Parts: sequence; structure tokens; C-alpha cells
Amino acid sequence: MHRLPTLLSGIFLVFLTSWLGLVAYPVLGLGRLAPVADAETGGTLPPVYGGQAVEGQHVYATEGCISCHSQQVRQTSITPIDIERGWGVRPSVARDYLRDSSAFLGSRRLGQDLSNVGVRLPDAKWHYKHLYHPSAVCEGSLMPSYSHLFLVRRIQGQPSDEALELTGADAPKKGYEVVPTSEAKNLVAYLLSLRHDYPLPEAPVKKAAAGPAK
Amino acid sequence: MRANIFPYHHAETDRGGDETRAVDASVRLPVLVLFGNAVHWFIVASLIAFVLSVKLIAPGFLGGISFLTYGRLAPIARDLFLYGWASQAAMAAGIWLVARLSGRPLGGVLHSTLLISATVLWNVAVLLGSLAIFAGYSTGVEWLEYPNWASAMLLLSFLLIGIWAVLHFDRRANERAEVAQWYLVAGFCSFPWVYGTANLLLTWKPVQASAQGPVQSWYCAGMLGLWLLPIALASLYALLPRFVGCHINRRNLAPLGFWLILLLGGWGGLSRLIGGPVPAWMTSVGVVAGVLFLIPVAIVMINLMLIPGEGESPVTTPQLFLRSGLVALLAIGIVGAIVSLPAISSFARFTAITEAQNQLWILGAISFPLFAILYEAVPALLGRVAWCPVLSARHYWFTFSGLWLLVALMICGGLFTGLALNDPTVSFLNITSYSYPFHVLECTAQLLLLAAAVVLGLNLTRALAADYLFPKKK
Repeated sequence: MHRLPTLLSGIFLVFLTSWLGLVAYPVLGLGRLAPVADAETGGTLPPVYGGQAVEGQHVYATEGCISCHSQQVRQTSITPIDIERGWGVRPSVARDYLRDSSAFLGSRRLGQDLSNVGVRLPDAKWHYKHLYHPSAVCEGSLMPSYSHLFLVRRIQGQPSDEALELTGADAPKKGYEVVPTSEAKNLVAYLLSLRHDYPLPEAPVKKAAAGPAK
Repeated sequence: MRANIFPYHHAETDRGGDETRAVDASVRLPVLVLFGNAVHWFIVASLIAFVLSVKLIAPGFLGGISFLTYGRLAPIARDLFLYGWASQAAMAAGIWLVARLSGRPLGGVLHSTLLISATVLWNVAVLLGSLAIFAGYSTGVEWLEYPNWASAMLLLSFLLIGIWAVLHFDRRANERAEVAQWYLVAGFCSFPWVYGTANLLLTWKPVQASAQGPVQSWYCAGMLGLWLLPIALASLYALLPRFVGCHINRRNLAPLGFWLILLLGGWGGLSRLIGGPVPAWMTSVGVVAGVLFLIPVAIVMINLMLIPGEGESPVTTPQLFLRSGLVALLAIGIVGAIVSLPAISSFARFTAITEAQNQLWILGAISFPLFAILYEAVPALLGRVAWCPVLSARHYWFTFSGLWLLVALMICGGLFTGLALNDPTVSFLNITSYSYPFHVLECTAQLLLLAAAVVLGLNLTRALAADYLFPKKK
């Protein structure tokens, strides 16, 4: 260990073991997982994201949603609690992420897990109101307001269909309305498409449906 | 031990022989520039960390402003701690130790210019990368949020410094390399590998996302355990025995400790994925690696904590920081092993305990030894008494109390919320309200850490500018 070549080759070999296990194996193995056929619809699983949802991933990344939200339902051999809590109907597996631009697995749960938020909360209007002022919808929530993803504008003729139905202090001045920007629409489209509730060969879904999130 | 090259001394009073002085003079500028920039990023990062802790008590604080939302500030703070502060201070400490331990001055102005250019490039990348996250150009990959051009600049800059360090090690005067030198070479070799691989596969040319989880966790573990920790350990192995004037205790164990740190530093990444969307064997390896990490930690403790004479109460600031660094490393080993056990991981993962572990790594086991080098190197490089003893003592006590208070609160808060989360009848919002008192106290701890950073900044400014601030009367 006193000569540089010996030291360097030792270091190289030791590094190589974890590199092979945690980088090369996943890239060559997990990275080549393919979608499977969906017998019910004739499509493929996991489902393909729509155009808005693809863009929404970008908003999810740049706004740093991953700082507080995970996207993984853990294996039942470790804990059944993620499923009992209503965050999913089956554990997440690597194949679930193959359509994603980036695997937003997350390491903190300052907020709830989002891997099945599209199943749990399928109403876009709820998401808009929640993003605009989270604690008005969920009292005591730690989530900050994402009002910068919305536009307050003067009503031109008819009020917009997209305008948020806000009450109390959040309500805009008379003659004005609050509408989501394209970023907010993309983000919500992405959130609504988040679901790991379809069966995969390695992750079958038990028939008993999950209750509402707690 | 070669007493003539890196003698046991306190740099404030004894500056060693001509050789040492020549080495110090040759690395003065790059090391001081790196440390100066590292400390200023440390203050900025501590300030943002404090703002973040306030946001957890009052989510509306600085609300409605896109670039000040929690989701943007959190990665900026984390990256500033990692790249602005820790990596830069580790490069400074690494350059100084490589030069000192090899007993050879830099090979002339060219080397010095190269190191300083690399430093400038690094800081420009950190500044522009952080601004890009503010402006909404984050990649969204944890710990790798800087846009591609900024991460490429960081890698290039590091390569210039890292290759220099390894080559300079090879020019050393001592034939038998000492333990600290192994760790220096390992650290400088690993950053380009870890950072390059992770950026290539996760941000520059992302692989299919189903493969990204393990790569991401390997990166986080490697950043801490293969790059920053080895430099911190090099600092401990280089300074502690010299301070007490004794050899390393049971040196024959040191090679085993070294190879195990490098082995488990990478594999340990899997303990961040226990129960996650990866094959079952990865979960098992994660548990085993988390528990086995106790072995190299124990070897470091035997080597350094049980040195004869180490039991006496430390007197100087660097000694206090080194001792605290060892204790933090011991805590990392114990907490990491416990949290890797499936029964504990099931409720501890995703809670504040995860964050407590990160804090123990970054601010504890890594930063404490780097502070010790900072306190030791600056007077040696300036060739005069540099530090204000009152400010140094304040810095130590604020950091010490802030970190342990923060870690204790996060572990207690994490246990509390984790156990509550384990009961599906308790609603998530209820659990959020349970964590409120912990968040309030964590804010106090962050304030202490911010105070420590500011005191360090004052002390360093005073040290560097003493000739202008307090001109000697002739």
C-alpha cells in the first residue's frame, strides 16, 4: 500500500464492486425492463403519460416537490403501513417508473406519498385550489402556496371555465378571476396520472380495494 | 513518524523547520482561497437552512414568491453545504495535507495558478448553479440539482485539483505512505468517479428511470462516504496522533478499516432504499451494509480514540473539533446500524431521522475535522498568530451545541412521527401537528448553527485581514 500503482489498483477494485452492483447491474438489468401488455385495454403497462403530464414532470422537478414528497409504496415484507394508509394497493416496483423522465423516489415524507395521488384525488379542481392555498383545503398543512403558478386577471366578458372557485380571503377582487398557468395545468395533469394501481407480473394487485387516504 | 516534515506543534506558536515553511508558502494562496470561499458558502447555506426551519413552523413565511419556496430553497441549501462548503473545504484540507505529508512544495507558479483557476471555476459553477435552481432550472435529482453545464464545470474543476493531488502524493519524500495519505488518495480518486457516473446516468444522458433509484442512492452514499469522509479521516489520522505525540493505536488494523470504509461507503447506499422499488436482494444488502459499517467505525475509534494520552481533556480548538468529529462518526455508525434494521427502518425511513443522519454526516463527521484543519492551517500558512481565541471558542460551542441539539430533536421528532405514521387510524395532518413543537425547537438549533457560521466568518475575516485591521505600531 506504499506504492501509488498498488494503492490505486486496490482502490479501483474496491470501488468497482459497488459500482457493478449499484450502477452497472441496475442500468443493464432494471434499465432494460420493458412495458407489458394490458389484457383489459389492449394497451401497455405502465400506461403512457399524456403530453401535458410529460411537461408536468418538469414542473415537479424544478419546483423541488421531491424535497417533501416520496413516490414509492414500500414492500410489504418491510412494512404494510404504506398500503394500510391508503397510499397504494400494491408495493411499487422498478417497472412502474420506466415511463418517467426521472425517478422521483424521494427520501422525506414531510407531505404524503404521491405514487397513487391520481387514484386517491382524481379531481383537477381540488388540486388547483390546493396548490393555490394548501392550508385552506387541508387545515394545518405544511405545504407552501404555489400561487405563482396562477394568474390573477380581469374578467373579460364571461368568466373563464378554468377560474378557481375561491372563498374568503383568497377570493380575488370583484371583476377579477384566478386561473391556472400552463405550468399549473401541466403539473396537475402529471399528478392526476400518477398511479401504481395496475397489475404487473411481479406486482399483482389483490382484489380488495383500498379505502380513502388517511 | 517523520517529525521533521510534519512535526507535532501548534501552528500558533511553532511553525516548524525550513522545509515545512517552504511547503506552506507554496500552497498558501490556493488553500486560503478555497477555505475563504468555503466559509462564505457555509454562512449562506446556514442562513438558508435557518429560513427553511422557519418555513416548517410558518409555511406562509416569505410565501407567494416563486424563488423562495421550500422546494427551491431546500436543494440550494443542501447543495451549498455539499459543494460550496464541504467539498471545497475538503479540497483545501486535502491540498494542504497532501503537500505537508509529502514534504514537497508545489512545483512552481504553474501548479499554483492551475489550482487557483480550478478554484475560481468551482465557485463560479456553485454560484451560477444555485442561481439556476432559484430561477427554476433544477434537474430535480436529489443532490444533483445543478444544471448540466454547472455540473460539468464542477467535474472539470475537480479533475484539475484531484489529478494534481494524486501526482503530488507520488512525489512524496516518505517511502512508506502513512494512513492519512491512503485516505487522501482514495478521496481524490473517488469524487470524479462518483460525480461523473451519477451525472452521466441521471442528468446528462438519463438512463431509463426504472434503473435510477440504485444509482441515485449510490451517489448519495459515495459523495459522503467515498469522497468527503476519507478526507475527514485523513485529517483525523494526520493530526490527532501528532497532537498527543503518540503513534496510532493498533496500526495493523488501519488497512482493514480503510478497505472496509471504501467497500461499504458504496454498498451502504442501498440502506437508503430499504423496502423501495428495487430487487429484494438490494434491500437485504442495504441492511447488511448498514450494520457492517460499524466495523470500520470501530477500527477508527480503536486507532484514534484509544491513543495513549488521548483521554486527557483537549485544550486547543482543533483538538476539540477532531474529538467531536470522532464522536459524530461513532454516532453515524450506531444510528446507521439501528436504522438499517428492517423493524426500525419500517417506521424511521422518510422521517426526520433520515435528515438527522445527513446532518451527522455533513455537519458532524465531515465538517468537524475540516474545521480542525482550517484552524490548524491558517496560522501556519499566514506565518503568524491568526485566530481570536474567544471567537474560536464561541464557534466551537455554538457548532457543538447546535448540531447535537438538532440531531437529538430530529431523532426524537422522527421517532414520534414515525410511530404515529405506523398507526393507520391517525390522520397525516394530525401527525404533522405532532411534529410542530419539534420544528419550533429545531429552528432554535438552526439559529445556533447560523450564529456559529457567522462567528467563524468573523474570525476568518479577522485572521486574514489582521494586518490591515490592527496595524502594528513601529
